[in-house]
Amino acid sequence: MTARLSNNEVVDRALETLRSGRVATAEVLVRDALSGSVETKDGALEVVTARGERGLGVRVLDGQRIGFAHTSDLAVSGIEACVDQARRMATITEPDQDLRIATAPLDSVDLDIYEPGLENRPLADRGAIALAVERAARAVDPRITHFRKTSYSDADVTTVIATTQGVRASYRESFCGAMTSAVATQNGERQIGYHGEGARRIGELDPESVGTRAAQRAIEKLGAKPFPTQKLPIVLDPWMAMSLLGAISPLFSADNVLKGRSLFAGKVGDRVANERVTIVDDARRKGGLRSAPFDGEGVATTTRTLVDRGTLRGYLVNLKTAGKLSSAPTGNARRGSYASPSRIGPSNFYIDAGTDDPAALVRDLGRALAVTSLLNLHTIDPVSGEFSLGATGTYLEKGTAVHPVQGITIAGNLTHLLSSISGVGTDLTFGASGIGSPTLLIAELSVGGT
Amino acid sequence: MTVRDVERALRTALSRGGDWAELFWERHETLQLVLDDQRIEDAITGVDQGAGVRVTSGDQTLYANGNVTDVDDVMAIAGRAARSVVDGSGLHEAARLVPDELSRPHSVAIDPRTVPVERKVALLRLANEVARAHDPRVSQATVSYAESVQEILVANSDGVHRTDTRVRVNFMVQVVAKDGAVLESGFEAVRGTLGFEMLTEDAVRDAAESAARRAVLNVGAQPAPAGTYTVVLSSEAGGTLIHESVGHGLEADLNLRGLSVYSGRIGEKVASELITVVDDGRDPGQRGTAAMDDEATPTQRTVLIEKGILRTYLSDRKHAEKLGIPRSGNARRESFRHLPICRMTNTMIASGDSDPAAIVRSVKDGIFVKKMGGGQVDVVSGNFAFEVTECYRIRDGELAEPLRGATLVGQGPKLMSEIDMVGWDLGYSTGTCGKDGQGAPVADAQPTLRIPSVVIGGRVQ
Repeated sequence: MTARLSNNEVVDRALETLRSGRVATAEVLVRDALSGSVETKDGALEVVTARGERGLGVRVLDGQRIGFAHTSDLAVSGIEACVDQARRMATITEPDQDLRIATAPLDSVDLDIYEPGLENRPLADRGAIALAVERAARAVDPRITHFRKTSYSDADVTTVIATTQGVRASYRESFCGAMTSAVATQNGERQIGYHGEGARRIGELDPESVGTRAAQRAIEKLGAKPFPTQKLPIVLDPWMAMSLLGAISPLFSADNVLKGRSLFAGKVGDRVANERVTIVDDARRKGGLRSAPFDGEGVATTTRTLVDRGTLRGYLVNLKTAGKLSSAPTGNARRGSYASPSRIGPSNFYIDAGTDDPAALVRDLGRALAVTSLLNLHTIDPVSGEFSLGATGTYLEKGTAVHPVQGITIAGNLTHLLSSISGVGTDLTFGASGIGSPTLLIAELSVGGT
Repeated sequence: MTVRDVERALRTALSRGGDWAELFWERHETLQLVLDDQRIEDAITGVDQGAGVRVTSGDQTLYANGNVTDVDDVMAIAGRAARSVVDGSGLHEAARLVPDELSRPHSVAIDPRTVPVERKVALLRLANEVARAHDPRVSQATVSYAESVQEILVANSDGVHRTDTRVRVNFMVQVVAKDGAVLESGFEAVRGTLGFEMLTEDAVRDAAESAARRAVLNVGAQPAPAGTYTVVLSSEAGGTLIHESVGHGLEADLNLRGLSVYSGRIGEKVASELITVVDDGRDPGQRGTAAMDDEATPTQRTVLIEKGILRTYLSDRKHAEKLGIPRSGNARRESFRHLPICRMTNTMIASGDSDPAAIVRSVKDGIFVKKMGGGQVDVVSGNFAFEVTECYRIRDGELAEPLRGATLVGQGPKLMSEIDMVGWDLGYSTGTCGKDGQGAPVADAQPTLRIPSVVIGGRVQ
């Protein structure tokens, strides 16, 4: 066996190959991840997985042309081949004068995103967390009869970035998460409830809360009835609001704005949401699930208010779009993996807490629908902003649950949704994807049904 | 890796106990080119090589996986899998491997890796030009080309040793149309488990034309109404309906645990007698086609529902054995990073007897769905939703104004028992199915169908 190169040696070797090939500007990223997961079924451990993932991504800027290559072969020959391929790719693309490789040195900053020792935890500890989730769910109600899947997973990830312009930095982060889909049964009817949570530290993950909420989500749907087509006020609890907020984030991408694919183009300084709404992207949130000191291009991350009490203040910007907009990069080049180039995206992206008591929001309404699940979120078109989703919900009168409903749709436009937010709760909650929201009241939406 | 190396890895995997072991090795080469905003913006290539070793011990599955450079890396992964075995009661020997070759459903005429990159770039430019020339309201186009060659080796302690190569191309066109403040997008793809021969100039032109036409049509369309309507689904609409409303519910893993609306119903009537549902992993050139599944079981044509009667489920090794049904070759995994799970390949509703034009004429007031987008199902309740990307109002048996922003929702078994007309035509669509965090390339197909009453999601007028 040839000696395994360390992450830093892989980066050094890639930089050296670039230098000897007279490549003036390039960026190199190594990601090294160890992860483990367990799945349980009806009180026993069913699947145990251990994963190691390590690879290199090289981005070459040859004049004004960019090329990208990646490899999982980290022997010297593999690294050299990867650099060669990145150079070859740069001969295919067309010039863009605003392309840049990071040059600004990075400061070290502790974002509280790493807990050592997670990957060495005994298997029994991992299993115990998943089993605690199942137990908590069953304890909610005897009608919780099955689980579609319950799992616990954790990961320890190191990222090293370097550019030919002298930027070099690394960080290490940890993740742990638990999720379950609990099934409730009553008189032949079955309903499923999903819930998952994530954390940077094991002590911050609450298996009880995961199991309890999933069980409640399933139970609240039992006895669901059809619902007549109508317009009425809609309540989104933090978890439902987060899933819609995730679909809104592409509107803030400077790349989409510049290419005429965002309804927010040319709207900086304009009112784009109800004045109760403030939207923040905070990559420096302590312990945040998407916190990182630098982005996928090696640019320092930032904390920004994108929508300030309803008014659009700015976009999410990477190095290239910063050049085009004559603004500073905001550190929003997100890198999904070593094997893919960065794309503009949010970090910890949230609607700030409001001043309304979540329970009081619905108490004053004669009729309202609280959404309990959404189907087809992946089909929301961020270009048009149009959404039309399958849903289940609970019909409320004066804040009291009357009956659950299923087989309905909710539809509208994302921009209209933002301006129709007529109540914002105090209960800001962050989910496993780093997105956060309080309870939201939407003044009125179209509901399709019978 | 030699056959002896593979045998050594399987022996290592079973060295601390366990009943059965399997090695999945993969090398995946990819190239992606993207034209956006009139410019070739991205050229991305890479090699992803890795292995996963699975050991089963009683009802437990232990899985270790990672990137590999050489044989020693594979042995290390086998060792990690072995170390996870908790209750190694009794040692099992791995059988001597007997390599064999499976027949291929189709042959690849042109390996995309042999095609000069200039040719690929020329097709991107062609699609961009065709889309932009379609209408002055076309304001943006993104065209991408992706090729992927996945070589796999699957071997297990029963003595199975098989390889497969999946060559895929995926050409996608996304067009934005703008009219005043309204933006709409249109999408079309040409893709399959085939070589570069798929990407003729005509196919690329048609895709660009369709994506542009759809974006322009939608930018001028009225919002779809919300409510309950009679719907005709064109065969051109593709098979998202069968995929979501029935297919997922027939996956054996859900049925073993009684979690699907179709659980325990083999032999029972679960759909109208007009409905026959087939999954065919050998349909030549289709996106879900392969010689074998990711456990080395040969793929096959499986009749799932025959004239309304449920016949079997889509199975992998484990669930076929537990349910006492034949293995159907439907164990699929996204890569070495994942365990295989039961899922669809190319799934279709078989053609019927009705004239498609007569089906439209039979509807006084309804909705004609010409193209479907993505969908999702809650398999436990059977509730599904799918996106409609092109549709029209039907008035007095004729197609009338276009509508945008529609979704169809319903409950699988209920909808399947209500379909009352099935056309003699058949149309395919392609997609990437998501399940348990894994993506898989699939195709779906259906004839023109009439649904007497279904909920349409749109705006309340």
